Amino acid sequence: MSGDTLVLDLVLAGLLVFLAWRLLTLSDLFKATVLFIVFGVLLSLAWVRLNAPDVALAEAAIGAGVTGALVLDALRRLDARGPADEAQPLRLNLPRLVGALLVMGLGAFLLWSVLSLPPGWRGLSSETAAAMPRSGVVNPVTASLLNFRGYDTLLEIAVLMLAVLGVWTLNAEPMPPAEPAGPILDVLVKALLPPMVVVAGYLLWAGGHAPGGAFQGAAVLAAGGILLHLARPFNVANRGVVRLVIGFGFAVFLLVGLTLATLGGRFLELPERHAGILILMIETAAMISIALTFVVLFVGNARDNAGRDTS
Amino acid sequence: MTPPIIYASAGAAVLCLGLFGFLAARHVLRRILALNVMGSGVFMMLVALAARTDPPDPIPHALVLTGIVVAVCVTALALALLTRMCRDEGSALLPEDRDIE
Amino acid sequence: MTQESWMEGTLAAPLLGAVLALIAGRSAASAIGILTALVGSAASIGLAFAVSRGGSFRYAVGGWGAPLGIDLRVDALAAVMLAMTGVVGLCISVYAVGYFRGKEAEAASSRTNTGPAWLFWPMWLMLWGGMNALYLSGDLFNIYVALEVVGISGIGLIALAGGSAIAAALRYLLLGLAGSLLYIVGVELLYAGYATLDLEQLRQRIDAQPSTWLAAALMTAGLLAKSALFPLHFWLPPAHGHALAPVSAALSALVVKTGFYLLVRLWLDVFAALGTEHVTTFLGALGAAAVLWGGVQALQQERLKMMVAYSTVAQIGYLFMLFPLASMSGSLTGALLLAVSHAMSKAALFMCAGSVLAVYGHDRIQSLQGFGALMPMTAAAFALSSISLIGLPPSGGFAGKWMLLSAALAGGAWWWAAIIVLGGLLTAAYLLRVLAFAFLEPVVASSTRAPRAMELTSLILAGMAIAMNFALLPLHDLLHAGGAR
Repeated sequence: MSGDTLVLDLVLAGLLVFLAWRLLTLSDLFKATVLFIVFGVLLSLAWVRLNAPDVALAEAAIGAGVTGALVLDALRRLDARGPADEAQPLRLNLPRLVGALLVMGLGAFLLWSVLSLPPGWRGLSSETAAAMPRSGVVNPVTASLLNFRGYDTLLEIAVLMLAVLGVWTLNAEPMPPAEPAGPILDVLVKALLPPMVVVAGYLLWAGGHAPGGAFQGAAVLAAGGILLHLARPFNVANRGVVRLVIGFGFAVFLLVGLTLATLGGRFLELPERHAGILILMIETAAMISIALTFVVLFVGNARDNAGRDTS
Repeated sequence: MTPPIIYASAGAAVLCLGLFGFLAARHVLRRILALNVMGSGVFMMLVALAARTDPPDPIPHALVLTGIVVAVCVTALALALLTRMCRDEGSALLPEDRDIE
Repeated sequence: MTQESWMEGTLAAPLLGAVLALIAGRSAASAIGILTALVGSAASIGLAFAVSRGGSFRYAVGGWGAPLGIDLRVDALAAVMLAMTGVVGLCISVYAVGYFRGKEAEAASSRTNTGPAWLFWPMWLMLWGGMNALYLSGDLFNIYVALEVVGISGIGLIALAGGSAIAAALRYLLLGLAGSLLYIVGVELLYAGYATLDLEQLRQRIDAQPSTWLAAALMTAGLLAKSALFPLHFWLPPAHGHALAPVSAALSALVVKTGFYLLVRLWLDVFAALGTEHVTTFLGALGAAAVLWGGVQALQQERLKMMVAYSTVAQIGYLFMLFPLASMSGSLTGALLLAVSHAMSKAALFMCAGSVLAVYGHDRIQSLQGFGALMPMTAAAFALSSISLIGLPPSGGFAGKWMLLSAALAGGAWWWAAIIVLGGLLTAAYLLRVLAFAFLEPVVASSTRAPRAMELTSLILAGMAIAMNFALLPLHDLLHAGGAR
């Protein structure tokens, strides 16, 4: 470990803590949100430093990108209904002081726990390495997400679906962009959209052997969709075809798992010979559904002018 | 001082800041930001502790990916609820926080 | 059918039904919902019988096996919770068909539509699937994902009611998210210490490290917030009290049990080797406080649904008295019987409240004079559920409390026994207050009637809560044969 990288790590870690503190105490929520996005981008650098490139990609695309876009959009909707700022959001009073002391105690205990962890921990790296040849892919993170712990991912896609159902239930009205899109945005969209689709496809395919995968690809695809929405506002109504695409990824994943169980294996037990192609199939279906999910989460529910929902 | 210890400690600090922000803030949007910060701290600790071996243990990376996606879903739902509450009731604070000034 | 296929059916049926209901849309959602409920409850009951005959078993999802893959473990405890979810879930589904048909008729007469109300079906089936996944899981991180499925579908379901339910759902979401994050901090500390997420492997490897104690504390705090144990109960009454009736029934009868179940798994099994006497006493004391506080609050409520919701705060407390009494024989049987009969009677009570709302258009207790004469079936369901909740013989509530009481007295812990008796008196006070209005006051006429399906389901559930009195011995045998670990 050379001195330079140690300094880099210390500066990056310190900056992350500082940004977290700053964004929680800024009275202007818009600035706080911008800092939150900067925090996410720096965090993805930290993931790179920790040898976690898959997490870095997801953090940049989803943690900072999608979440940031969602918060900024919500802020715009709130701002239309009166000021959203607080003068001194976290000014100390007695309850907050008690809370601060408790949380500081927790922090000290956490630090002590981390430092007292026994040395020589190997995690599951050797188990993973031994199982990789039978997983159908080369990237161990993809193997874990789609094969070893694919069941977690199935339930995770259920969570994505549920978020869309929640947003539809709330009938959140779509917000037209602040001003009509200029010709620049239109040109931008035309120039950016095709490469974005290509990048998404690449990320999906690369996930098998390099950092990437369905979630990161879906975020890029969704970014294209959101950009398109900003240039030419559209509604993603609670309609049959939209619902089909939203449920598609989950349905394919679940049916693959059930088919394998009826063919004599266990639920979601991918046979070694076909694991690669099955993973690609599941990931493709999931990517399409997740991309539309992110777009719906951003655009909200469609209502026609009469205020009826269009389902 | 090794990178895992540096980032795990920073993660613990970020986690605690987020938790405090969640407990202390009143504006729901700030609370949502605080919970996201807290989640980032949680994930930082998880990945940092996985980097104690070389190459790092990949399982926690998969767990964190799942966690990030779940977090964005919950955040989206929270924001939709907040927008709706603000539309119906004209306040971005939970009812019990509204009368305290 | 083998044990494994019953389990696969229990796991997959609600998930498949949910996505089909979503894709099929408004017109077919309720039919798919009922069909799924039938298949799902049959599978979970079949699984319970299979476990009682063949004993507990493990199932490696994906074929990898722990620690690399995710193992499910099906034992008597899980089987009882799954069967409870299946039976009560089926009744809730039948009730919901009647309930939403009533709403549709109402909307048709005022020339509007019911909007997104049909989304109840995909969300409810997904909630059911999430609970089944949670009860089956033997993996700490998988439990977290299942908890999120349960949490998010629950929040969407609460939001269906609109109005003041929105703020309640938001509060529930924020607290639940904080609870989940605390839970994952615990999970990651355990993984950083023992390199496994599997409950059984953890139980074998656990030792008293500082990180293990911190992990246990954080996971417990997170789960207590989710199970609404006093003093973290404040989010529950508004959320359960403002939701639509079938949603309130599902949340109050079933969802609150998930946090309790996980804490039982953790403290009576995984962490048991740590020497946990202080912790179990602490959990029991919180439970006792919940029994008293929830009871007093329920007495003061003006609205029927809020009263029933506060009653849930109190009844969760009873379950937590299992922890200090766990070493006494029969206490687990008692607590489980109490959990199951509470699920039945509480679902029935919320259904009654929903039927009353459908007829009277409000649920102010003071103005419900004589609803016993107007709605005899609903009033009978209310009375039968009250018998079980109070703990009068014969009923599941009586048998469960009796087992806990004898466990407490056998251990010389008379103070726990005193709380159990005192809580029963409080329950009697607030429930009899409503029944007095129902039967003693003259009738206030109303022209509308509640759909027959709604009234009948609540009566059937209440009858089952009574019949659980006779489930004591079979349950006791199942827990011993099936190795409740």
